[in-house]
Amino acid sequence: MLGFSFMAQDKHTISGYITDSRSGEALSSAKIFVPSLEKGTVTNTYGFFSLTLPGGIYDVEVRCTGFSTQRKNFDLRKADANYSVELKPFEGEKVTREIVINGKKSENVNSTKLGQIELDIDQIKRLPAFMGEVDVIKTIQLLPGVSSVSEGGQGFYVRGGGPDQNLVMLDEGVVYNAAHLFGFFSVFNSDAVKNVNLIKGGMPANYGGRLSSVLEVNMNEGNNKHLSVKGGIGAISSRLTVEGPLKKDRGSFILSGRRTYIDVLAKAFIPDTSPFAGSGYYFYDMNAKLNYKFGEKDRVFLSGYYGKDVFTFSDREGGFSADMPWGNGIAALRWNHLFSNKLFMNLTSTFSDYKFKFGSKQDEFKIEFLSGIRDYGTKVDFSYYPNDKHRIKWGANYIYHVFTPSSVSAAQDTIVFNTGNAQKLFSHEEALYVLDEFDASEKLRINAGLRYTAFQHVGPFTRYMKGDISKPDTTLTYGSGDLIKFYHGLEPRVSFRWLVGAHSSIKGGYAYNYQFVHLTSLSAVSLPTDIWYPTTDIAKPQKGFQASLGYFQNFFDDRYEASVEVYYKGMNNVVEFKEGALPGDNVNDNTDNLMVFGKGWAYGVEFFFKKSVGKFTGWIGYTWAKTERRFPDLNNGETFPAKYDRRHDLSVVGTYMLSDRWTLSSSFIYATGNTLTLPTSWYVQDQALLFNYGARNSTRMAPYHRLDVSATWFDKAYKTKTDPTTGKEIQVKKRLRNNLAISVYNVYNRANPFFLYVDNDGDFLNGDFKLTVKQVSLFPIIPSVTWNFEF
Amino acid sequence: MEFRVLIFSFVALMLAVTSCTKEVKIDIPGYEKQVVVDGSIRVGEPPIILLSSSQNIYSPTDITSYLNGFISNAVITVSDGTYSAQLIQVCTDNLPPGTEALAEAIFGLSIQELQQLPNPLCVYTTFDTQLFGQVGKTYSLTIQHEGKTYTSTTKIEDPKGLDYLQWKPEANNSSIGYLYGFMSDNASTSDNFMWDMKKIGDPLFTKPFGPFFNDAFFNGLAFEFTLYNPMSFQDSTYSENERGFFKQNDTVVLRLSKLGKKEYQFFDKKYNQIYSSGSPFATPINVPSNIEGGALGVWVGYSSWSDTVVCQP
Repeated sequence: MLGFSFMAQDKHTISGYITDSRSGEALSSAKIFVPSLEKGTVTNTYGFFSLTLPGGIYDVEVRCTGFSTQRKNFDLRKADANYSVELKPFEGEKVTREIVINGKKSENVNSTKLGQIELDIDQIKRLPAFMGEVDVIKTIQLLPGVSSVSEGGQGFYVRGGGPDQNLVMLDEGVVYNAAHLFGFFSVFNSDAVKNVNLIKGGMPANYGGRLSSVLEVNMNEGNNKHLSVKGGIGAISSRLTVEGPLKKDRGSFILSGRRTYIDVLAKAFIPDTSPFAGSGYYFYDMNAKLNYKFGEKDRVFLSGYYGKDVFTFSDREGGFSADMPWGNGIAALRWNHLFSNKLFMNLTSTFSDYKFKFGSKQDEFKIEFLSGIRDYGTKVDFSYYPNDKHRIKWGANYIYHVFTPSSVSAAQDTIVFNTGNAQKLFSHEEALYVLDEFDASEKLRINAGLRYTAFQHVGPFTRYMKGDISKPDTTLTYGSGDLIKFYHGLEPRVSFRWLVGAHSSIKGGYAYNYQFVHLTSLSAVSLPTDIWYPTTDIAKPQKGFQASLGYFQNFFDDRYEASVEVYYKGMNNVVEFKEGALPGDNVNDNTDNLMVFGKGWAYGVEFFFKKSVGKFTGWIGYTWAKTERRFPDLNNGETFPAKYDRRHDLSVVGTYMLSDRWTLSSSFIYATGNTLTLPTSWYVQDQALLFNYGARNSTRMAPYHRLDVSATWFDKAYKTKTDPTTGKEIQVKKRLRNNLAISVYNVYNRANPFFLYVDNDGDFLNGDFKLTVKQVSLFPIIPSVTWNFEF
Repeated sequence: MEFRVLIFSFVALMLAVTSCTKEVKIDIPGYEKQVVVDGSIRVGEPPIILLSSSQNIYSPTDITSYLNGFISNAVITVSDGTYSAQLIQVCTDNLPPGTEALAEAIFGLSIQELQQLPNPLCVYTTFDTQLFGQVGKTYSLTIQHEGKTYTSTTKIEDPKGLDYLQWKPEANNSSIGYLYGFMSDNASTSDNFMWDMKKIGDPLFTKPFGPFFNDAFFNGLAFEFTLYNPMSFQDSTYSENERGFFKQNDTVVLRLSKLGKKEYQFFDKKYNQIYSSGSPFATPINVPSNIEGGALGVWVGYSSWSDTVVCQP
């Protein structure tokens, strides 16, 4: 194992790509380790690594989750070496599933990553699925520090930040709305996803634009060895994925699609003669990706996503019809270039588009509402590995944003109503960064970086200046390209790891961030109608910092990982709508005139205990947290809890490999109830009952808790055949593989609160008038079965 | 705003399929008793003020508790800038002759029901004709109650009428039809309206669904629009298929009232709260009062234009 080491003054570099031997796909976070020096590195997202060592002869190991460890001896006395290797998975399904992780286990302690969690899609697929749909967002909500508003709320909340403070990326293209069906499902099709990386604290300088977190979702690249097909048929949706080589070992493609059939099922219950025939809901999405190696130094990726939710409503008798589509379109073109075995470049161009549209027709009256955001972006990232102590990155990022917060048109016959000008806002966002992750000593590793960001709000633009009751409104018009407002600033980022022993470390971090986009909601829950709005002369950029400190400990030969992290987050210029603002209020007005700005802060402690190896794997996560807001113009200027303020949040997740054929898993979550604003009193005006609401978010709903379980049955991986030449029975891998996933959501049928409202019923004069607080709950116990196949 | 209505219907559909609702008892802190003002003045009519107090959300909701909420010991003064007078209380046990219908309209109870109440209900008003509403005048309201003073002002705007109002029969059934009005809006003014309607001879006007609107969407435009029949939903002589329509030979009065911007904001938010109450997608809206001093409610001046139309082709 320990190779002969020959020390010399010269240094040489070993570099290359680590890929999966079955599909040829890049393996990110694979560990390249030199046991004799106790030094190593990990591959980047594209499977590339570079490790510079003193001249010598070394045994080099390559380790990765679920793959056999590869070892090779290299002579680095006189020259650099290339080591591109295809890792083979453990032989046999049994071993593969028993030995889940061996490559990343010590990363928990060794890396400077603080508040970062990587999940392979295989891990996610083993957990219970809601209605048979494996979901990335729902899985990360099981991690400490991450929460959802409730069932049916889109987005997720990280360490007290709002849903707009999460940078969600699919192959580096920004996803502005990661939810289907109001958050019941995410836009990420598990068959098209390779892995997920969540950064909830200690954000490195190569990421920016959001205050709270980064969720990177990487798509599969496609199999460059052979054509394969996989899919699943579930209770409410089905999916199909085709992947294969464009040219063997040089390039590949993947095409994956998914569609629900709630509308088709509903048709059975709504006859054609019904006045509501034609009403329905469905969503679909498609992922596509191509990649091609143009040589040893160049590789190009083209990724695309397109997904839509569509709700249609028809009331023939009432003469009313409406349709409401919304969805994302994302494209990313990436070029990897290796300038040398120490310098790696990734150049990316992205396009991202989110649109929400509503159109309705009542007899001759038509109205259409549109909102959305469109980004055109380019970024370049360089990774430089000068020696075994430094890993340097620098790069630049540019985004051209086009916001359409509100565009309304209405007409009655030929009369077109004045619904105000379509609001469009244009802006440029730029960033430059540099960071160095370096080993200051054997025990101390530091990741220090600096990011410079700038933002320009440019014309054309019309600023409405609203007078008070007695004064008329005035406008100020800017021409195309006119600079309206410029913001810029520096974002220092630093994190460190101090090795306390062989299996424990202390980590700390500080990150300062700017955010130039805001998501504003008029609803108590997040909706597709929530409006993305840029920083303007009135809406200032959000600014925030997060400081965190953690202790990380592995036990029993790194089979168990544990950590405790404390954090404090401060946020400025967070956005809400004014008290009583309504959607129609921005006609002939700017949306930011309806906004108010305030401060927020959050602090908490997170405990995480994980078992990654063995037949039984899983984790326990617990968070104690407090999240508050203060706005001069809301709640009489007094501090109030954020609507997603949760004091306690517990997740227990477990998976047990019962046999080659059966896997059992379960998850349990408990969370303090969300806050909301309910009326404290009622009064009567002109015979109408009205409510008067009290302090903002002063009421708390009942706690949320739920247990899900699932069992997955796998067919036999091998079949027995007689070898025609030897006549002996041999084991041959089956071409068609399939499994059946049976899951039960909300096993003990808990009626969790979705929202509360005050209901009034009855009549004063009859003496039966009654005001009661009602709780609406969404999902009772839901069993589901999904059949998955692959060939 | 209609897309929100559609979302509500979508969610209602989803909730109908998947959800369950149950009553819960939950702590709602922060109740504070407030005075509620329901005051109005119309052209040619006296100011009428109804004073009550807000009730805890968990307080008893029987009729006695409701009636006990009315305030009858306040001192209320109305002024038009040059002339002011203290209002008197007119109570249900001592109504001046000819005011029964007005009392019914104010309290929403029949005169028989009003007369059977254990305690009389009172409004604050005046018979002093100098304080009857006049176009162009601004009226100040001052209320003194339990050591506190509440004030407000409202102006009676210039009235605005329609160019025409006519009935048109439906193509497939000439016995029923909608009313069609034509409005030429003045581009130089921001106008806020309330419309209501009654059958000729009826004592009371009926408000439609969403009676308040402003000209933000049609400022400066001239256009024809449709009016439905709000009375038909309470009138048993209209069949299910006739609801919303006017019958041929009906004679109806349309009243189009103008009001100020602050007062309009009160009613706009009020109806928004009423229509969105109970929806998870509605933001909690407190109806913005134009009363200074910490009271809820509104003090509103209306100028009215009305037109009588006989429903004939």
